[in-house]
Amino acid sequence: MKKLTYILAAFLGLGMNITSAQTPKGSVLIKNATVLTVTKGSYENTDVLVQDGIIKQVGKNLSAPSGVQTIDATGKYVMPGIIDAHSHVALDVVNEGSAPITSEVRMKDMVNPYEIGIYRALAGGVTVSHAMHGSANVIGGQNATLKHRWGSTDPADIIMQDAPRTIKFALGENPTRVHGRGNGIQPRTRMGVEAVIRNGFNEAIQYKKAWESYNSSKTQKGSTATPPAYSERLQTLADILDGKIIIHCHSYRADEIYMLINVARDFGIKKLVFQHTNEGFKVAPEIAEYTMGASVFADWWAYKFEVYYSTAFNAAILQRNGAITSINSDSAELIRHLYHEAAKTQRYGGLTDDEALAMITINPAKQLGIDDKVGSIEVGKQADLVIFDHHPLSVYTVPQMTFVDGVKYFDIKEDQDDQRQFVSATEMVEPVYLFSKVNEHKCMQDMDSFFEAFEGAFLEEKH
Amino acid sequence: MKKNFLKAGFLGLLVSVVFAQSSLAQSDPSGKRRVTGTYAITNATLFSSPGQQGSKGTILIKDGVILGVGSGVQIPKEARVIAGDSLYVYPGFIDGAGNMGVTRPKDPERPKDMVSSNPPDEIAGITPWRSVTDQYSASASMVNDWRKAGFTISQVFPEGGMIPGKGAIMVLGDADGNNLIQLNSALSANFRGSRGMYPATAVGVMAKFREVYQNSSLALEHEKLFASTSGVKRPQITPTQSGMAAVIQKQIPVIFTTSNDLEVRRAISLQKELGFKLVLTGLENYEPVIDLIKSSNTPVLIKLEIPDDKAIKGQKEEGVTEATKAQYARVKEAYDKSLKQASLLEKAGIPFAFTTVDAKAGDAHKALKSMIENGLSEKAALAALTTNAASILGISRMAGTIEKGKMANFVLLTDTLFTENAQVKHVIADGYVFDFEVKKKAATNGKTENSGAIKVEGVWEYTSETPAGASGGELVIKKEGTGYSGTITYDDPAGTGKASSPIKNVTLSGSNMSFEFDVNAGGMSLTVTVTGEITGNTMDGSMSIAQFGSFPLSAKLASPSRNN
Repeated sequence: MKKLTYILAAFLGLGMNITSAQTPKGSVLIKNATVLTVTKGSYENTDVLVQDGIIKQVGKNLSAPSGVQTIDATGKYVMPGIIDAHSHVALDVVNEGSAPITSEVRMKDMVNPYEIGIYRALAGGVTVSHAMHGSANVIGGQNATLKHRWGSTDPADIIMQDAPRTIKFALGENPTRVHGRGNGIQPRTRMGVEAVIRNGFNEAIQYKKAWESYNSSKTQKGSTATPPAYSERLQTLADILDGKIIIHCHSYRADEIYMLINVARDFGIKKLVFQHTNEGFKVAPEIAEYTMGASVFADWWAYKFEVYYSTAFNAAILQRNGAITSINSDSAELIRHLYHEAAKTQRYGGLTDDEALAMITINPAKQLGIDDKVGSIEVGKQADLVIFDHHPLSVYTVPQMTFVDGVKYFDIKEDQDDQRQFVSATEMVEPVYLFSKVNEHKCMQDMDSFFEAFEGAFLEEKH
Repeated sequence: MKKNFLKAGFLGLLVSVVFAQSSLAQSDPSGKRRVTGTYAITNATLFSSPGQQGSKGTILIKDGVILGVGSGVQIPKEARVIAGDSLYVYPGFIDGAGNMGVTRPKDPERPKDMVSSNPPDEIAGITPWRSVTDQYSASASMVNDWRKAGFTISQVFPEGGMIPGKGAIMVLGDADGNNLIQLNSALSANFRGSRGMYPATAVGVMAKFREVYQNSSLALEHEKLFASTSGVKRPQITPTQSGMAAVIQKQIPVIFTTSNDLEVRRAISLQKELGFKLVLTGLENYEPVIDLIKSSNTPVLIKLEIPDDKAIKGQKEEGVTEATKAQYARVKEAYDKSLKQASLLEKAGIPFAFTTVDAKAGDAHKALKSMIENGLSEKAALAALTTNAASILGISRMAGTIEKGKMANFVLLTDTLFTENAQVKHVIADGYVFDFEVKKKAATNGKTENSGAIKVEGVWEYTSETPAGASGGELVIKKEGTGYSGTITYDDPAGTGKASSPIKNVTLSGSNMSFEFDVNAGGMSLTVTVTGEITGNTMDGSMSIAQFGSFPLSAKLASPSRNN
């Protein structure tokens, strides 16, 4: 009997631990909305029932189980939570740009749940963002996929723990500017960028072999095998080769995109997504055949030399060529109205409603490897939902409520002037930046000292 | 060059003379040697440990050790007697992590062929082999300042990058003596990156810390195998790896500087991943992680200071919108909450202690009083200063309370600790007695009469004694509304001549004046705080700069303003 009590106590204790580590899950019934499922069509006067964070039923005349709140959405639109495949919101550090390869750094270490950008994203209907390392180096850090559970103080609560690992790569001007011209190390050119990647993967293969042979021989009697040096940098690259990590690569030009496709094919890498991809329309069939697609801006280019050649039809061309295509923000400002950005693909390219909405829902979900969990309104999926007052692709639309796992984190009716979670005790007015100083995207945040070095190198050349 | 050799030779000669003297026990030409190492503090009110009521008694100490405490203590003939009748005696305070007396070493020169993506450890701030004893000076003014505040022991840490090196526990005793209690007591670490090289940011530092730790651990394994098995290739242990060995073997903790809750979480997550012993220091904003600190059982050292109230003082009463008022209220709420944090640690049952890093010795008692006003019990405050710190440092056997056999470290005050007018009269550290001037407070009923007589407006001439020699300048104070404003001149740190700055936060309470001014030294802005007591036309006080210590200052009102 006593023993049983112990077991029970242990079991209950364990149960409590599990619940305390869990993130909040909600139940709600949304009534009479136009439901835009994105993957399974659109339905008028339809209800969505959410229980414990999961979509349980989509249909007409559903009734709420006892204790479940009902929201009347008559005349309103419900769509899946918007997913931003390229963001730097809620990160204390964006770039560890000091070496050409820094695959060992983890953006999960730097997640800051207090950043007001999370709430602003929720106000724009965004429930999941891909908090990426910057583009200062060829192989940057491992990214974090976030769920915008605003209000938590624990970074672990806003990290989507069941999302697969992803990593940032970068081609072209940023890494060559920082390393080659800034600090006099490889890569100085696009050829150097390719060499850095190939050398990195080849070293990772050696690294993996060295550990395999050490691990197999150390248990043998009288073994003289000694442990190889530990390198999380090379281990991470080996994990990419083993298909455990999805590459998200900052890229602009068609030639460099095609280069990376060839490198990936040589090393048997299949999990590859291109970011920005402004010249993607030139290599759309190749992107469609060999990769997990491209994540692009709707109509943003010409902010530096390598981005002069682009078109607002880029997303539509990629999409119609069969490439998985998403539209991202890479900005604390654009993330607030990605639905407008998606709508631009209808003006430039005439995409259908479902194709346009897929650009900010199921397609980015596929590129992040979370399309089995989020990205559409389907029974069994996590209940990340947004209610709009007009069709989300209408220029007049305004998000009304945003849910993550069935929990409402944004309601326009309850929106306060001051939504900050953390207020400094010693600052009268805290600095707020929607745009960074140079009005450039945040990909190059934390790189000031490297540009100083870059400028220094330039001045020296004049002597 | 030759001259240097000569100098070195001369110094060597001096040192050998000093050594010869002490070993031959000849007379002491310096006149510094004490007559006796035996002291008796008689009939004082003793507070032997936190939570204990004060009781009258005598303490006898010899050679830095407590020989007896209580009423029946026999006083030997050679003892010097300190009459304790009007004094209140507490155990000497212990600083859990400090940098008093520590001078940052010169940055090593970068090799010409250095690759910024893979710099040598020493350049990148990874120097676990360094010991603070090479950077510490017992005669530094900051050591004096903290001793004056009641501190008798400090665990000091070297200055440096992400892993600066190993700390040592020092007693703040005789400046000419050897004050070491424990060498290599802990390894310090923080999330500071190296500028312009790997690792440059906190995220790189975390990755690099993992790498250093794992490879040091593998190097130890290799070393063990090499010692036990023939045919194993020679291990090539780096200074970093051997410097980390004591941490890997869990002989000493890593003391991580974490100022806010997110950094606390980062350090604890590294600890959980790698398994080292962890102590957190430098905590400022930690209210959201009190539960985590408790559940992870991590010892913590909080900053012995309270946040500055500039944002509170800067709030305007009139002419502001409702929205601004609401923001003001939130800042005020955040400020009040930050003052309560120490009391929340006590409520959670976390035995915290203090770090003196970044704090000003002169404001330490004010900070303690503020924590107590905001809910911290006096017992917990004293425990944080004494027993908790001793326990976190692993020196409870020898320090933290007034007990027979423990080190002779005490604070002797003119009133009970934490009361408004209590002043430190003596500090005894390692059995050495340090006397401090006790200022007579104006009688409280005469205060209003006196305050009319204090005049500060006009032109003052001041001089200050700094380690770089005497300096001085002019201080102009004007009445402005209900407060004061003005300017101060001083020797320009950038070169020759005088520089001038406006003074701010001028306060005058009774005969005590204080103000601050900012000095730009080599691109860095330093805030200098001046405090002093005015009698007639003169002011005596000190000039203090955080991290540099305080220096005596005296001033004379050369031409008082007449239009008062």
